[in-house]
Amino acid sequence: MEKQCAAMERWRLGSLPDPAPLAAAYIPMQEGAEPRYVPQEALSRGTLFPGLDLPFLHVVNPDLEQTPMTEMMAIDFVADELELYLDTHPGDTEIFALYQTILAMQKEARDRMVRLCGPICQTDQLGMERYAWLEAPWPWEYRKRGEG
Amino acid sequence: MFVYEKKLQFPVKIANPNPKLAKIIISQVGGPDGELGASMRYLNQRYSMPYDELKGLLTDIGTEELGHMEMVAAIIHQLTRKMSTEEILRSGLDAYFVDHTAGVYPTAASGFPWSAASMAVKGDVLADLNEDLAAEQKARVTYDNILRLSDDPDVNQVIRYLREREIVHYQRFGEGLRLAMEKMDQKNLYAVNPSFDR
Ligand SMILES: [Fe+2]
Repeated sequence: MEKQCAAMERWRLGSLPDPAPLAAAYIPMQEGAEPRYVPQEALSRGTLFPGLDLPFLHVVNPDLEQTPMTEMMAIDFVADELELYLDTHPGDTEIFALYQTILAMQKEARDRMVRLCGPICQTDQLGMERYAWLEAPWPWEYRKRGEG
Repeated sequence: MFVYEKKLQFPVKIANPNPKLAKIIISQVGGPDGELGASMRYLNQRYSMPYDELKGLLTDIGTEELGHMEMVAAIIHQLTRKMSTEEILRSGLDAYFVDHTAGVYPTAASGFPWSAASMAVKGDVLADLNEDLAAEQKARVTYDNILRLSDDPDVNQVIRYLREREIVHYQRFGEGLRLAMEKMDQKNLYAVNPSFDR
């Protein structure tokens, strides 16, 4: 935990090049991608990175209900978040290795959701017996808690 | 090319319809700092970006913003289900209802329809990235303001999530700006516009 705090402090402060140019906005680079939340917590908070987690009036979201859907969303979210990180840190090989692990988990979580709830992309229908794309629910439709 | 994924980025499950809330949250679909404008801003700025990191970043954040537009639209759709005419009149959603019924139309809370005038594509790396940084802050403030006005826990959970995304995007655009500046003339950042002068 102490190590975590120190790591967070470090990239909250960031570092500026010496000397930083005048007449230019400067935002410190996030240095390293640690610490990180676990996927479900990352999703409910809206970021993988505690150092970027700056909630309004300090109010934090409650845990999300655990369903196959939110489990898949959480893995998908970590992938999205790592992609944005890698866009500005393309040389971070450690995080690219983590991204590989997440992609493997994502494939597993997706295959499971497709089996349970039908296609997420049209192409998920490869090998299906009928055209399942049109089957409800559509993502914007209201479904009660526990209804996926 | 875009391919649709039949899922949201974050779950939207609004148990209690509330047209009064829909009337203000619609601004994050089609208002000046809403998600439609965000995605259009980033996806259209890509073409004149000279550096690969920024082409990637604008593509990925622009795509995520399309997903956020869908989430806010889902909030509006769920807040306006099963409305009685009496509720429509009482909530003040009547002016919107007369034109759009319970459809989702991209407009500001003020009633001003979505306008490309609320976004910019300047065709200059520094100008466009500074625009993006400001845009993320303005979207963050709009979500702050929605949190001040809403006491629906189902809505606020989604709004808090979207607000936090703006903070992460701000950081990434700041890093993108920094990467761009490192590739430019360190003695005079403004000597040329690398999006145009080659
Ligand atoms: Fe954003």
